[in-house]
Amino acid sequence: MTNRSVDEITDDRKLSDIERDALTEIANIGVSRAASSLRKMVDRQVLLSVPSVEVVTHQSAADLIGQRETDDLVAVTQAFSGAFDGRALLIFPQKNGIELTRAVLGADVSPDQISSMVEEALAETGNVILNGCVGTMANMLNQPLSMSLPTIKRGTGQELFTVQCSPPEQGLVLFFFINFAVEGRDIRGYIAMLMDVPSLAALKVLIGEFIARVMHDDLGNTGLTPAE
Amino acid sequence: MAINPDAESPESLAERLRLTLAVSGAAGAWEWNLSTNLISGDARFASMYNISAAQAVAGIAPATFVSIIHPHDQTRIRLAIGGVLRGAEVFSKEFRVNLADGSLRWLHARGRREAADSTHFNGVLVDVTEQKKVEERLRVAQTAGEVGTFEYIDGFGTATVSDQFCRLLGLHPATDLPVRSINALVHPDDTPIILGERNSGSMSEGRVEFRITRPDTQEVRWLTRKGEYVSDSDSKARRYSGVIYDITHSKLIEKKLLLLNETLEERVRERTLERDDIWRLSRDLLGIADARGVWTSVSPAWTRTLGWQQSELEGRTSHWLEDPAEKSHIEEMFTKTAFLHRLRTKDGSYRSLSWTIVPKEGLFYCVARDVTEELENARSLVEAEEQLRQSHKMEAIGQLTGGIAHDFNNLLTGITASLSLIQRRLKSGKLEDLDNFINAATTSARRAAALTHSMLAFSRRQSLDIKGQQINEILVGFEDMLRRSVSENIKLTMSLSADVWPALTDANQLANAILNLVINSRDALADGGEISVETFNVSLDANAAKSFKGMHAGDYVRICVSDTGSGMPAEVIGKAFDPFFTTKPIGQGTGLGLSMIYGFAKQCGGHVDIQSMVGRGTEVSLYLPRAALSEKIPATPAAASPVSRGRTETVLVVEDDPTVRLIITEVLDELGYKAIVAGDAHGALPHLKSNQPIHLLVTDVGLPQINGRELAEMARVYRPSLKVLFITGYTEKATIREDFLSPGMDLLTKPFELDALGAKIRELIDGDR
Repeated sequence: MTNRSVDEITDDRKLSDIERDALTEIANIGVSRAASSLRKMVDRQVLLSVPSVEVVTHQSAADLIGQRETDDLVAVTQAFSGAFDGRALLIFPQKNGIELTRAVLGADVSPDQISSMVEEALAETGNVILNGCVGTMANMLNQPLSMSLPTIKRGTGQELFTVQCSPPEQGLVLFFFINFAVEGRDIRGYIAMLMDVPSLAALKVLIGEFIARVMHDDLGNTGLTPAE
Repeated sequence: MAINPDAESPESLAERLRLTLAVSGAAGAWEWNLSTNLISGDARFASMYNISAAQAVAGIAPATFVSIIHPHDQTRIRLAIGGVLRGAEVFSKEFRVNLADGSLRWLHARGRREAADSTHFNGVLVDVTEQKKVEERLRVAQTAGEVGTFEYIDGFGTATVSDQFCRLLGLHPATDLPVRSINALVHPDDTPIILGERNSGSMSEGRVEFRITRPDTQEVRWLTRKGEYVSDSDSKARRYSGVIYDITHSKLIEKKLLLLNETLEERVRERTLERDDIWRLSRDLLGIADARGVWTSVSPAWTRTLGWQQSELEGRTSHWLEDPAEKSHIEEMFTKTAFLHRLRTKDGSYRSLSWTIVPKEGLFYCVARDVTEELENARSLVEAEEQLRQSHKMEAIGQLTGGIAHDFNNLLTGITASLSLIQRRLKSGKLEDLDNFINAATTSARRAAALTHSMLAFSRRQSLDIKGQQINEILVGFEDMLRRSVSENIKLTMSLSADVWPALTDANQLANAILNLVINSRDALADGGEISVETFNVSLDANAAKSFKGMHAGDYVRICVSDTGSGMPAEVIGKAFDPFFTTKPIGQGTGLGLSMIYGFAKQCGGHVDIQSMVGRGTEVSLYLPRAALSEKIPATPAAASPVSRGRTETVLVVEDDPTVRLIITEVLDELGYKAIVAGDAHGALPHLKSNQPIHLLVTDVGLPQINGRELAEMARVYRPSLKVLFITGYTEKATIREDFLSPGMDLLTKPFELDALGAKIRELIDGDR
């Protein structure tokens, strides 16, 4: 996938194809854990997957969402710090957010109840997903990471990305596209990890280590040799 | 899928399956046991890995699973496997595999964990090679053709789009985009790309052009949308399948063409304006006339130059502006390309116009330049030249006056002094030697007469008595005078050819001319030398005649006066014949000599030629035409002949000057004629009408009221055979006497010798005897 915004980013901050593939798999592990947690929490079938990852500027991230979503957005946001610092956002179109809440809460909850519970449910759901995702990433990369409590933000993509980070021109966004499948409903959403350049560089190093482990350890650990 | 290993040999079964599956494209099933870390599969799976069905069921290691994957895709798949091993629940990857038969296939492996704690990962393996090829072709087609595709189902909020679709719109690649996001890019005046959301209408199946503003570059591009509605079998909703592509370049060219067209018009307009400017601003009169010369269009210069308004000029010819006294020039327009004529201005004056006419396609394109000033300038130049000439003439007259005064004073001194002496001698009674004084006075008076004659000759108003003459005889009779006029240190030679033809000339004037030439030569020989006078016959053919201006071929007598004197430079020769030109100081010559000779020679029908070189002398040749008569003609006596006496014939004398009248009467009386006198024509007519015998009418030409010529004509009415002798100081109309005189008439020029008068009278009265 070619992305102009990625092209604009200088080489040392750009992810290679392998790095992006690896990060996608790490994110997939993360959202899988989150899905597992959600399933336990709501006792419903929940599937989460990450088809692709981009590293883009704040503006590009805002554009990306702005082009795909014309409705106002709702985001669950949590700050994280550790080997890499930043802020994570789980973003849905507002309508999808309510739908997700409804799916998570179950059809037996009345609309009145839902509207009063939306914020809380969203924050909780978001917390599970972001924790699963970001926490797993730290785990996979063998790094400790702590996260703040979730807060809810509403607004356009532009507003979400410019408010969240400063100085925005130096920060980059790790942008995950997420597919939710809850009770047969498909809901799209996004995870954005706003990080500064040093944090991204640190992440790159960690990703490299992950790749090396997978490529050299996994098949070896199985005790099998490649086929002839 | 059930497998029966006993039915036939596993190899042949596997081969058959492989072939079947290869053509069917059916999916293979696989299961990943994470606890044993073995991946087992069905027959399709077995055929791909070129293993027996039994082996496939038993399972293969992930390393073996990865082994047939194309090297380019291996890392990606191994990373995905790593993800699965570490907890990822979903596996969905496309990758290429190198099969045992050497073929390359695209596979899509899709699987998921049953539950988070499950150790089994179930999935399907689908051969997507054909799908990939189609997708690739579509992608290439879209990329190469820069055609973006989209699908939209009526009523939906999003549309399915291709990457190229996103690229054309300047959007981040996506598979689905909200309709509002897509339409938001379109120029507000243009048709939206997608219609159908919230009953917003249907899309045209034809071509729709629209502008978008790319969100990534803010660039405005022109795109075209085209597509059609497809009815899906499984849904009642209409699905629109469409394409978009960029037409900015074509639009740009279109615009450029339009601009070019516009600027072409602009340029043509400018050129036209320039031409209009020429038409409007030209100082020249420009006009277009039809085949009849009627002006169809005239430029503003007409009004500026002539004062007439355009409306007054157009629709008719310019004949009405022509000077009625001049010939019309309208005709010339048809026949000439350039001519000059004058047109009247509104204030009544005339302007001279120089016309250039270019006929083309039945019309006349005319340009006229006002040359009035130029012509006036030329005229004043001529006038100025004339004035200059006049002032030269006045200067020359000053010279002449000085010369004449000098000559006349000398002559008058000779006459008055002689008369005083005669008077004194008479008083004292000393009558001896009176003749000397009388001769001296007479000589001076003759010289004065010769001088006035010269002046008349110069003005060509002298009356010449041109007739056939023996040139040698004239010269011989004149030789003494010539010799006396040169000093002792000059040798004068006369070399006269014996057989010289008679020539047409006036004897007195010829003598005068030769004398002049000899005197000129004498003046050029201040230190002595030779002068020679020669005569000979020459015959000029046409070529030879050409070298003398105004001379005709024929026989001539050439009289040549040459000297060994100082000669003349070329510029002096050039002016030698100019009247009043002289190299002598004021008071020493009139400058009439050579010009007089020239005039005289021309009057005789001849020519004068002058050859000279500084220090080598001068030669002047006088050419006189050969006379027709061949017999010897007696030369007119230069000296006085014995006075003819009258025989009592009656002579009527009409003369207004009493002194001259008295003298003539005295002479007639002395000669024995009977004289009747009258002061004018009126006094003379009664005598002429009377019966008294009158043998001769002697009349002055210049009489008051009725002049002598008219009187003679009247006299001839009463007396047709009456002889007439005219006496004149000079007569303009009598330059050549043959034109003036009828038979029985003659002319005597004042001043005249009494003897000459007597001889003429005798000659006339005796004429018809």
